[in-house]
Formats: sequence, structure tokens, C-alpha cells
Amino acid sequence: MISNKSVRSHLMVFVVLLTAVLFLSAPASALDGNAILLEVDRNLQPEAYEMYRKLINIEPNGTKKEYVLYTVKKGQDKMVALFLSPASEKGRATLRLGDNMWLYIPNVGKPIRITSLQSVVGGVFNNSDILRLDYGAEYNAVILEDKEDSYVLECKAKTATVAYDRLKMVVDKKTMVPVTIECFAASGMLIKTLYYKNIKKFGDNLMRPSVLETDSPLYKGYKSVMLYAKINTKKLADEVFTLNYLPRVNELR
Amino acid sequence: MRIGYPRILMAMVLALSHLLFVITVERAVAETYDFKIDEFESKPFEWSGYAEVKYEHLNLDKESAFYGLNFYNDPRDTLNRSTGTMQLELGYKKGLAAFNTVLNARAAVDDLGGSDRADVFEAKLSLKPTPSVTVDLGKKVFKWGKGYAWNPVGFINRPKDPNNPEDSLEGYLGVGIDLIKSFSGPLQTLALTAVLLPVWTDVNGDFGKKDHVNFAAKLYLLYRDTDIDLMAFVGDSRSTRFGIDFSRNLATNFEIHAEYAYLTDLEQKYLTEAGLVATRRRSVSQYLLGLRYLTKNDITTIFEYYHNGAGFTKSELDRFYELVDDANQQFITTGSDNFFQSARTISRMGYSAPQAGRNYLYLKISQKEPFDILYFTPGIIGIFNIDDASYSLSPEMLYTGFTNWEIRVRYTYLGGSRFTEFKEKQNQHKAELRVRFFF
Repeated sequence: MISNKSVRSHLMVFVVLLTAVLFLSAPASALDGNAILLEVDRNLQPEAYEMYRKLINIEPNGTKKEYVLYTVKKGQDKMVALFLSPASEKGRATLRLGDNMWLYIPNVGKPIRITSLQSVVGGVFNNSDILRLDYGAEYNAVILEDKEDSYVLECKAKTATVAYDRLKMVVDKKTMVPVTIECFAASGMLIKTLYYKNIKKFGDNLMRPSVLETDSPLYKGYKSVMLYAKINTKKLADEVFTLNYLPRVNELR
Repeated sequence: MRIGYPRILMAMVLALSHLLFVITVERAVAETYDFKIDEFESKPFEWSGYAEVKYEHLNLDKESAFYGLNFYNDPRDTLNRSTGTMQLELGYKKGLAAFNTVLNARAAVDDLGGSDRADVFEAKLSLKPTPSVTVDLGKKVFKWGKGYAWNPVGFINRPKDPNNPEDSLEGYLGVGIDLIKSFSGPLQTLALTAVLLPVWTDVNGDFGKKDHVNFAAKLYLLYRDTDIDLMAFVGDSRSTRFGIDFSRNLATNFEIHAEYAYLTDLEQKYLTEAGLVATRRRSVSQYLLGLRYLTKNDITTIFEYYHNGAGFTKSELDRFYELVDDANQQFITTGSDNFFQSARTISRMGYSAPQAGRNYLYLKISQKEPFDILYFTPGIIGIFNIDDASYSLSPEMLYTGFTNWEIRVRYTYLGGSRFTEFKEKQNQHKAELRVRFFF
């Protein structure tokens, strides 16, 4: 027979444990996966901005090829990237409107539709990496693990048109920006891993990683790096994100 | 404009050799991450361009019609040609105005002699009071249509070479306005392009009949993720014509496109059954259906069907080839080239155009970076005349691994039976090396 004292002590332990569990899990319940993703998006980039990026493709023998891009973005699904360097790519511009992507090549003189899995620069980065929309626009997230200093999110693509079917994203709790992102195909195959590094201050109180590295089991020994500079909020007309405007993107700078 | 081609060629070759040496040395230098943003800040004046050297070796087909036309009095088995091209792009912007120009100079030397010319491909002043409005004055390149190899709706385009559809082309002088409006909802973009195109002796003289001002317009819609264009051309330099095109992604790796053009009252000279030159007027349809498909291993396929309603039928082309054959017989038996002279004149009525027939297929298959070889793209291009079963096949290799260099090697084989379009071209084989340096 169980005494009243024993019941009370068990009840007390249960209440303490329950309180502790509720207290400890409070951040997770306050921030679900999608809310974390939303915060990650806002910490990585303002809603409307311009920025400069350098892409570096590094071959196993150390040879590298560099590209410099000027990028403008507005809202969740409008983005344009203009190649400034090297000379062979200068003037090329890519436009993304939701799932639609186009490439404008000055000599061709008209935009052609391209796909998210292609790469206009070669190397490990594909078009969806270069014209990346907000993660929250393309993925639904749930928390896989709530660690002491990081969240591990499982992100599932909202539609079949998104380049990667699934992401496993590790988010640093202190800065609320991604540390690593593993990108998987629908088959479960790992396509590439992204590594966000070197957090630094940009304009408009933006603190975010300034380097994004990637490698891929599909490109053994190859590595691609994206360096970020000069991310500024910018007012942009919707008409900037149209095919007719693509030849003139350089005039936004 | 004539300039001294041997000196230009020599200068280009020396410049390319020097730059290749510099690039090779640069590649050996140790690598570090470094991003100096200052050197990429926007400047009012910017310039860029490329220098190109191309070498072609042609194995001539002595049985073909165009060999006869071009070499009946100078027989040979092969033809070697070297071409040097320099293109310079200059831009200046200030406030709401921008001036852009593209200058192109090229010189060629072959076994028969040399030629050179320099052209202003583009020179236009653009005024942009708002992102929604642009006014262009001057020479501008138009590339209307969604097709990769052909553009039936390109009413004010220069015709492009399906073997090199991405090559620069010369523009036309005119005045144009571009209006853009974005929306939220199924209709995302609406844009109107309107162009006034005069044709006078020294202005756009090769466009059509002189002393007329023509009007062309294009209305673009991005509607439910589909690009749609409606075009019209009116004026007396060419007949009135209307067109529509669209392009859409059915999946992330699968795009389809189509063009349809209706050309009214088209005037055309042709060879009658009696072997006489006659003129006919008719309204014709031209259309194109195409797709672009990307596989998981990065193989891109572009496939297009083109119906050229303004082209010659197989029997009309046969008549022309028979005429050249008769000219050849006359030359062999009598030494007279009267028939050849007539055939040359008739060939300029459209029989020597790149695709003079009615129905064509275009296929380009290329694989980006096979076997993990970065910046390497092998491919093959096929153009087929459906009506006479002749074809052109061009395997090629493209390498862009050296920064700002593009190296392309291509071989072309022309096949078919006698009196078919591709078999009657002047050569049966062609090997080509093209090296381009961008600056």
C-alpha cells in the first residue's frame, strides 16, 4: 500500500519535472520550425536589398575561377543577379520570379528560360543557390533536435519545383543564422553541403555570415565559395524584376 | 570601311599570345580568398569586348551546285580561311541617360584573297525617366521570338545563323519606347515595345524598300508563369505581318516554346517549271515548335521544328540545282559561263539563303562538365531538311576553364543525296577552331 506521504513526494517530483520540462522547452514551443526559418531569413538578408558577391570555384589542383555578381532582391520571390566579372560573363543577368528563371546574355540579346538545377557559372553552386529566395518561401520546417547551442531543422520543399527536396539545417541559437545546410534530393541522396562562416557586420545593423562554402559528393575534390559584401536595403520598383528591364540592371548601381 | 587586314590579324594574334602567357602565369600563383569591392563599384564610363581568331578548313565537294557556282573558273579541293574579329562595347551613363555602342571589326584571309570590314553594330542613347519607361534613339539590335535556332516572329531581327545563334548581330537605326508595368496576380508583367524604323538609302538600306518609315510593336505578358508576346509590323519596306509566341516551363527541367507568324502579301521571285524567273505574291504562315530539356546528368537538349512558309518547295530547289548542273555541262562542253552567270543572279533571289527550304528540324545536345571536367562542354548540333532528307551534323567541344578565354573546336559534315539542300553546299566537311578572349 502506498502512503499519502509517498504519493505527495511522487507528485512533487512529477510537478518539478514537468515544470522543468516546460521551462526548458519554452523556447522550442515559442519558436516552431517555420518561425525559426523566418528569423533566419530576416537575419541573412533584408526584404529588399542590393548586394555584391564573389563566387569562387576551386578545382582539386587548386586552380580557381572567380565571378562577381551584383544582386537585387525584393519581397519573397523577386531577384536579379548581374555578372560584373570576369569579362567573359560581364553583362549576363539572371532573373527569378518565383519558380520562373531566365538568363539574359548580351550577345544573344534576349532572355531564355533556365532551370534551377542548371548552373550558369559551373562548379558546385547551381542557379537556385545563386538566385536563392528566402528559405521560408520554399520550405516548411520542423525542429529535429533542440541542442544547447543550436537547432537542427528538417526543411521539406513546399512544391516539387524547388531545387532540393529536403534540407537539414543547423541554426546557431546565439546569432540565429545557419551554420551548415545539407541539401538532399527526393531520392534521399545528399547533393551538397553548405557551410556559413565568418559572421560580420554589414550595413543597416545586419550581422550575418560573410562566407558561404559548399562541397558535394557529386563533385569530389571540388569546392565553391561565395563571399558577401555591401548588403544594403534598397527601394526597388517591381518593374525592375521583368524581362524588359534585364538589359538595364547595371544602371541600378 | 576597308582597313589593312594583315596588320589587324597580326596584331590580334600577338595580343592573344601575350594574354595567354599572362593567364598561364596567373594560374600558377597561390590562391587566397579576397574580395575588394572598390574595383567593382559602378563607374560612369565602362568598356569591354572580345578579340577572336578563327581558323576554318573546308573540304570542297566538287559535285555540288554551290562549288560549281563559286569555283567553276578556279577549281580546288580545299579552302583554308583565317578570320580575326575585334568587338568593342562602350557605355557611358549620367543621370537618366545612357549611351551604349558596340563596334565590330573583322578581317579574313583565305586561299582566294582577303576581305575586311568594320561596322557599328549598336549605338543608342537611352533615356529612362522611371524604371517603367525607356526611350531609345539610335542603332539597336532586336531579337524578338522564343526560338533558339530560328525566329519566324523576328520581324525586325537580323536573320541569325542556326549554327551560331549566339553570335553578335548588327542592329537597325530607329526610335523606340519601352513601357513596363508589374502586377500581382495571374498577370505579373505587361510590357509594350514600339519602334519606328525608317528605311532610306543610307539608313537601314538593306532592310527593304527605301523611302518608307515602318512601325513594329511587341506586347509582352507574363501570365500564369507563361511568357507571351504579340507582335505586329506595318510599313511599306516589307509586307504587313503579325505574330505570337510563348514560352513556359512545364517542369524545372523542361521548357517548351512556340512562335507563329502570318506574313501578308509576300513578294518572291522563283524559278518556274519552264526554268524562267517569275514573281509571285502570297500570304504565308511561318511557325516554330521547340523544347529544351535538362537531364539529371546535365545533358541539355534543344529540339525545334521550323516551318518556313516563305521557303522554296523541294521541286523549286531541284530546278535551281538542275540549272547549275546545266551551267556546269555548258562550261565543260563549250567553255561558256553564261548559265553560271544567270545561276549566280538567281541564287541571290533566296536560293543561297542558309535555310531556303520549307521544313526543318534542329537538334542540339550538349553535356556540361562530363566526367567532372569543369568548364568543358561537348555537344552536337544537327540541322535536317525534312523535305529532301539532307542534313548538317556538327560535333563540337567548348572549353572555358581559362578565365576570359573560350576555346571551341567544331567539325561539320554535310550529308544527303544529289540535288538536296545540304549536299549541294560548296563543302562536304569543315573543321573549325575558334579562340576568343574577353576583356
